[in-house]
Amino acid sequence: MQSVGIEMLNIFGGSAYLDVDQLASHRGLDKTRFDNLLMKEKSVALPYEDPVSLGVNAAKPIIDALSEHEKDRIEMLITCTESSFDFGKSMSAYMQDYLGLNRNCRLFEIKSACYSGTAGLQMGVNFVLSQVSPGAKVLVIATDISRFLVAEGGGVLSEGWSFAEPSSGAGAAAMLVSDRPDVFQIDVGANGYYGFEVMDTCRPVADSEAGDSDLSLLSYLDCLAQSFSEYQKRVPGADYRESFSYLAFHTPFGGMIKGAHRTMMRKMFKTKADAIEEDFDERVFPGLVYCQRVGNIMGATTALSLASIIGNGMFDSPKRIGCFSYGSGCCSEFFSGVVMPESQARMKTFGITEKLNQRYRLSMDEYDAVIEKSATVRFGTRNVKPDIGFMSGVRESMGFPRLFLKEIKEYHRLYEWVQ
Amino acid sequence: MNTGESVLEKINVFSVVKNAITEVLPDVDSESVDIEQNLKSLGANSIDRTEIVMLSMEKLDIKLPLVSFGGVENIKEMVDVLVDAFDGNS
Repeated sequence: MQSVGIEMLNIFGGSAYLDVDQLASHRGLDKTRFDNLLMKEKSVALPYEDPVSLGVNAAKPIIDALSEHEKDRIEMLITCTESSFDFGKSMSAYMQDYLGLNRNCRLFEIKSACYSGTAGLQMGVNFVLSQVSPGAKVLVIATDISRFLVAEGGGVLSEGWSFAEPSSGAGAAAMLVSDRPDVFQIDVGANGYYGFEVMDTCRPVADSEAGDSDLSLLSYLDCLAQSFSEYQKRVPGADYRESFSYLAFHTPFGGMIKGAHRTMMRKMFKTKADAIEEDFDERVFPGLVYCQRVGNIMGATTALSLASIIGNGMFDSPKRIGCFSYGSGCCSEFFSGVVMPESQARMKTFGITEKLNQRYRLSMDEYDAVIEKSATVRFGTRNVKPDIGFMSGVRESMGFPRLFLKEIKEYHRLYEWVQ
Repeated sequence: MNTGESVLEKINVFSVVKNAITEVLPDVDSESVDIEQNLKSLGANSIDRTEIVMLSMEKLDIKLPLVSFGGVENIKEMVDVLVDAFDGNS
C-alpha cells in the first residue's frame, strides 16, 4: 500500500508567554480549582503577530530544509484556522508568498473550530493517497490566536468562561504531508469520525469567543467515546489500552485530558484510579508537555500534542500513537499512525523546546498592555502600522529570523522578516 | 406524570445520584445533600460533575449522550433527565 503521513512537523509557539498561575491570581480565580487544570504557561500574540506570521514562522524551517525541487512539489497549501481576518481571501495566499512557494499550488483555508488542523491533515493524506500527482507534497498550516477578551454579556454562554483566558494561547503547527512519512506514518483507513450539531463554544463575533464550557466538556467526552468506537469498527482488534504506546489529544487544558482519559479507562476496562494515574503519566503526559507551555491553539492543538509526544516520548522502537481531535460545533476524529526511532531526531532539528524556552516572559502589566495595544489591529482594520517600538526587545531576542506584521494598508497585510 | 410510581422512581434515582456524588467527592456527607443544590456548591468542578453523571448512568444502566445533561442547573434537573430516560427505557 502507498505510504503516507507527515514528512516534517514543526511548531511555532510565539515570541512571548505568560505564567498562567500569575494570571489566575490577578483575575481572582479559585486557586484550589485552578491547580487541577494542569496549566502552566500560555503564549500571547503581540500586536504585530497574527495567524499569518505565526503560520509562516512554523513552516519556514521546513521549507528551508527542502531542496528547490522538493519545495516545488508542494502543490497544496492548506491553512487551518478559526482566527482569520478576512471572510473571503485565504491566508494561504500570504503564506505562499512569504514562503516562496511554487504558484502551481492550490491555496485555500479550512474552518472547523479546533478540528481544522485534522481536517487539513486528512485532506493532505487523501490527496497523496489518490496519486493524481505522484510525488506531490501538501503543506498544512494550522494557526490560531486568541487576542481579545470574551464576548460581553451574561447568560449561559459566558458562565464559567473565565477559565478560557488562562487556557487560550497563540501559535501554529506546520505539517508537510507526503509519501515520505519520516515523522509520522498514517495508518491508512484507520479513522473514526463523529460529528453533530451542538452549541458549545463558538466565535460568533469578530475578535472574541463565547462558550458553554460544561457543554463543551460533555460533547468532547461523547465524541471521544463515539469516534473511538467507530475506529474500532474499522480496525478490528483495536484496543484503547494495548494498541497505542502514546495518545495525543486535542488539549484545551491538561486537566480536561486527564478527565477524558480516566473516563475511557474506567468505562472500558474498569481500571482503578491509581492504575489510571500511572497509565496517564506514561501514555498521555508526554503529549501535554508542549500544550502546557503554549496553551490551547485551537486548530493546531492536536498537532501540538503529537509534536509533544514525538519530542518527549521514548522511541527505541517503532511506536503507534492514537490521536483524538475535537472541534466545537462539532466534529471529531480518532486516527493513528506510527513514529519510528529516527523520527524524533528528525523533528528535534527544529529545536521546538529550545524556541519555547527563548520566548519572553510577560509581566501582568505587560500582558494588559498587549491586550490594549491589540485593539489597534482588531478585525476590519483598514490602515494601521502596528507600534514596533512596543516591547521592541521581544522582536529581536530569539536569534532566528521571524516574520512580523509591518503594516495594514487598505486591508492588505504587509509583513517583514526580523533577524 | 406525577404518579406514585414515578415519585418512587425519582427517590430511587436521587439516592443513586447521592451515592455517585460521595464516590466522586468523598468529603461530602450524602445525608446533607439536598436535591435543590447544585453540584458546584458541593465543590465539584466540571470534570467531577461529568463523572457523577456517568457513574449515575452506569448504576441505573441508562445510556444517554452526555450532552443531554447540558444546561442542567442543579441535582433535581439532573435527576429529571435520568428519570425521563428511565421511563423511556422501561
